[in-house]
Amino acid sequence: MKLKRLMALGMAAVMTMSLTACGGSDDKPSDSTAADNAAASNTASSDKDAGSDSDAAGETPSEAGVPTIDKINVGEDYKDLTASIKILTNRTDIVDTVYAGYADQFMELYPNITVEYEAVTDYEEAVTLRLTAGGWGDIMFIPTSVPKNELSTYFMSLGDYNTLDQIYNFVDEKTFEGNVYGIANGGTAGGIAYNKKVWADAGITEMPKTPDEFLEDLQKIKDNTEAVPLYTNFSAGWTMGAWDQYIECAATGDPDFHNNLPHMKDPFTKRDDMTGPYAVYYVLYESVARKLVEEDPASSDWESSKGAINRGEIATMVLGSWAVNQFKEAGDNPDDIGYMPFPITVNGKQYAGSGGNYGYGINKDASDDNKIASMLYVKWLIEESPMFLDEGSIPARKDGEFPAVLEAFDGVELIANSPAPDGEEDLFDDVNNESEVGINNNDYPDCEILEAALYGTRTLDEIMTEWNEKWSAAQESLGVEVNK
Amino acid sequence: MSEINEKKSIGNIAFSIFKYLMLIAGSLVAVIPVVVCVFTAFKTEAEYQSTSPLSLPKSFFYLENFKVAFKQANMARGFLNTAIVLVVVLVLSVLMGSMLAYVLNRFKFVGNGLIRNLFMFAALLPGIAMQVTIYQIMNALGLINHLYGYMICLMGTDIISIYIFLQFFENLPVSLDESAIIDGCTYFGVFFKILLPLLKPAIMTSVVLKGVGVYNEYYASSLYLQSKELKTISTALYTFTGPYGSQYNYICAGVLITIIPILVIFLIFQKQVYGGLAAGAVKG
Amino acid sequence: MGKEGKTFKEWFGSRKVQRYLVIFTFMFLPLLLLLMFTYIPFGKMIQFSFYNMKYIGKRTFVGWKNYVEVFNRPEIFKSLLVSVYYMLGGFVQLALALFFATMMVFKVKGESVFKAAMFFPYLISGIAIGFIFKFFYARGYVLDSIVAMFGVAPENIPMWLQDTKINNISLAATSVWRYTGQNMILFLGAMMSVDSDLYEAASLDGANKWHQFKYIILPSIKSIVVLNIILSISGSLSAFEPPYVITNGTMGTGTYFVMMNRIAHENQKVGLASAMAIVLLIIIIIFTVLQKLFFAYVFDNGTDDESKAAARKRKKQAKQ
Repeated sequence: MKLKRLMALGMAAVMTMSLTACGGSDDKPSDSTAADNAAASNTASSDKDAGSDSDAAGETPSEAGVPTIDKINVGEDYKDLTASIKILTNRTDIVDTVYAGYADQFMELYPNITVEYEAVTDYEEAVTLRLTAGGWGDIMFIPTSVPKNELSTYFMSLGDYNTLDQIYNFVDEKTFEGNVYGIANGGTAGGIAYNKKVWADAGITEMPKTPDEFLEDLQKIKDNTEAVPLYTNFSAGWTMGAWDQYIECAATGDPDFHNNLPHMKDPFTKRDDMTGPYAVYYVLYESVARKLVEEDPASSDWESSKGAINRGEIATMVLGSWAVNQFKEAGDNPDDIGYMPFPITVNGKQYAGSGGNYGYGINKDASDDNKIASMLYVKWLIEESPMFLDEGSIPARKDGEFPAVLEAFDGVELIANSPAPDGEEDLFDDVNNESEVGINNNDYPDCEILEAALYGTRTLDEIMTEWNEKWSAAQESLGVEVNK
Repeated sequence: MSEINEKKSIGNIAFSIFKYLMLIAGSLVAVIPVVVCVFTAFKTEAEYQSTSPLSLPKSFFYLENFKVAFKQANMARGFLNTAIVLVVVLVLSVLMGSMLAYVLNRFKFVGNGLIRNLFMFAALLPGIAMQVTIYQIMNALGLINHLYGYMICLMGTDIISIYIFLQFFENLPVSLDESAIIDGCTYFGVFFKILLPLLKPAIMTSVVLKGVGVYNEYYASSLYLQSKELKTISTALYTFTGPYGSQYNYICAGVLITIIPILVIFLIFQKQVYGGLAAGAVKG
Repeated sequence: MGKEGKTFKEWFGSRKVQRYLVIFTFMFLPLLLLLMFTYIPFGKMIQFSFYNMKYIGKRTFVGWKNYVEVFNRPEIFKSLLVSVYYMLGGFVQLALALFFATMMVFKVKGESVFKAAMFFPYLISGIAIGFIFKFFYARGYVLDSIVAMFGVAPENIPMWLQDTKINNISLAATSVWRYTGQNMILFLGAMMSVDSDLYEAASLDGANKWHQFKYIILPSIKSIVVLNIILSISGSLSAFEPPYVITNGTMGTGTYFVMMNRIAHENQKVGLASAMAIVLLIIIIIFTVLQKLFFAYVFDNGTDDESKAAARKRKKQAKQ
């Protein structure tokens, strides 16, 4: 039920970095040739840290002993450091196997550092409680409940934005006032997973480019094959929230759409060219209303759906690219699983959004030794470990290789949300929470779309009007400037 | 059981038939959801996906699911922790509940009524809404990630036992205390030597109610017992919520592993359990 | 009550000291715990309810705004209607428990097997019950298979968790399933506390089963039944676990607490959620007081006659 939190992958909240600019920004951190790991090497960065930690002036001296993440050399620096660190994760399923394996590899490199994982059930809620109380450990996936302007209260700065932005993807998702507090555990691109064989068997030769073409294709699958055209995985909850990830980049092709949303009047209104948020929810609503989804969404089943799409019993699932590896591994037909962009065309072109998963944050109240050990481990994870390959995600490093899944995105432009303008870092979240529309953080409104379509209680237009009203009310109560 | 001389009339026979039919039906309804779970726990993945949930598994010796569940959820350790928590919490909450009830029932003092009401009112308060603050208090006192901290938390929210003991004391004559005091007993002596032994039925009641509650408690234990070595048996099951989605062959195995110990204990102490609950009921 | 011996004036002084000592030592821990884990958090919750706040970040005082919002949002009070299902479920549970307990008061072969079977669900944890019933109600799984055995065509089998006409009944049924056996044991205990001679005498007296129930059994369990009715109503208003672990409150199964939980965690409106908790608390208090008044009234005018009748009967039987 809370799988969203467990998967860490629901395209967390904000998508930011422009991936198209991936190319030439490779400056290896090992450039800091001097192995002078101690305080001296990093006066510059520690100054910045001190500045960011304005509410904890007493911390400044200790921050001075910790380098920024770009300046630390994994495998070379601090080989004699002895520390024991604890890292929190939401992956209760693989914590003792895959993750423990990563920790073991790291501990071979750094025999004096002990890395211990702790898996947390009901991650977001439980970790938020722990944060407010303190003393939770050394590294965690930063929960979405932490607004950017509070990041420095709980996490240490890993370096300044301008430097880290050159090296890593998605850093500005956890950046506030020029300091980076979290680096993403990789990222995902938003498209649709499908079984190529089923789609071909249904007689579909060309991939759909608009919502209506997509719905027609689903109808063909229903008419010509035995497969469930579109499996919603409704009862898992997070699978419904996953629809939100398409309403920004994929539906508009505009990297600034996310930042403009809190200023927009009636963003959920239908557009004539069938783009924008409405078009995404239209696909969801109509496929349910036309009975192109599983018969009993309330008892749908995420775990077995993986095998079902692999075997061709399910034709399509609308989920981020992270899911593709799992579908391939769930049966004997890995080659049947394909990935396509969301069927919306903006001025003749298709787009896909990408965004970071949970970011690693390091406890600002940890000891210096633990901070350094944590930083070494985080850096090792995102640069040296096989994690990205294992999870099929977009790597944290800009010069890393994209997962093979995304090869299918030929001719599709992969974009990410632009960084939020200064002073508006939390504006989207504020309006989003206040309105309770809950884009990318509350599954329930999406569930309501399915319920309305299933029972025929409300039309999509009625729902979208209600969301517009809630959005306006939130803008008004927060005093946000609205562009007409 | 009362001996009733049933007249062998037709009416009585009809009543008997009706009675047994109803009891059988009731028992079946109670047991079927779990029995189905037993079947599923012994099925292989393929078997689970291809057979009806009502069909028997091919073999009742296929234990792989249990092994996976047991290992995944670290249940061996969970049992040990649960056992420790159970014993300590039951002993202490019986002591605390009965001591408090003794004072409230036997002594008149300013604030007696207020304190009773505070306890009764506490039962109405919505626990889930107060978790944030409770967590912060637990943390401030350094109670998080210690078995004793969790035990204290469980006792802190212990209102049932107090209620039961208060009820019970109403029916224990005060003359008992008086004669003991005349014999030179202190108040402590009166409580521990005279009254506590007499509380046995109420103790049984609160042990049963509290015991089932503690054994099955998963929310607080998942919050306050964080490290792996401290997990209790029900949190072990809670970890199945996410990753296993609906791999019911594993989940059912996990469910059964958690049910079996309490079921065995229950079957051994059946009489006492019923007796305990009944004692509470009569006084309630 | 304080019955400390006034005739033993010579050690009155030390008695008094001892008295305070025992009051203090016996009450200190329970009161401390009550304060720490109930009343401080409760006070905080009241405080939170006047703030606009998230778990993390600044909070601003907003006065009664959260309360106004609770009353201005129809969906919040609509969720209380869902509780009606759990209330009805509570009554069904009482009736069933009473029925089975009555059956067992009369001599039953294999009594312990029936008792154990029906009591058994009470031992299972809420989280396990969630798993068991998700599996039980899932399309094509347990309940569907059972219904199909009786020859119902698949297309006529309702979707237990999806069909809004029945899904709340499905959920309320899980709690009936869980607690009926326990209630039965409670009632049976109360019934058995009646002197068994009474049943025998009544039976000899030619009283039929209904009369035995009405005049002997019912009066003996009056107070426990009333207590259970009161508990089941406040329990149904605060129903949380069945929808939370089985449907997560979707498809129209969201109870008040499920909705509150969602507002607190998914929308991060901690102040509003706290206000909701307090509004519900007040509603529960009102309900509890009303019920107490109601039963006090009913038993003054109704059941007391019955127990008088029973007493009369008892005397009569005694004479025979």
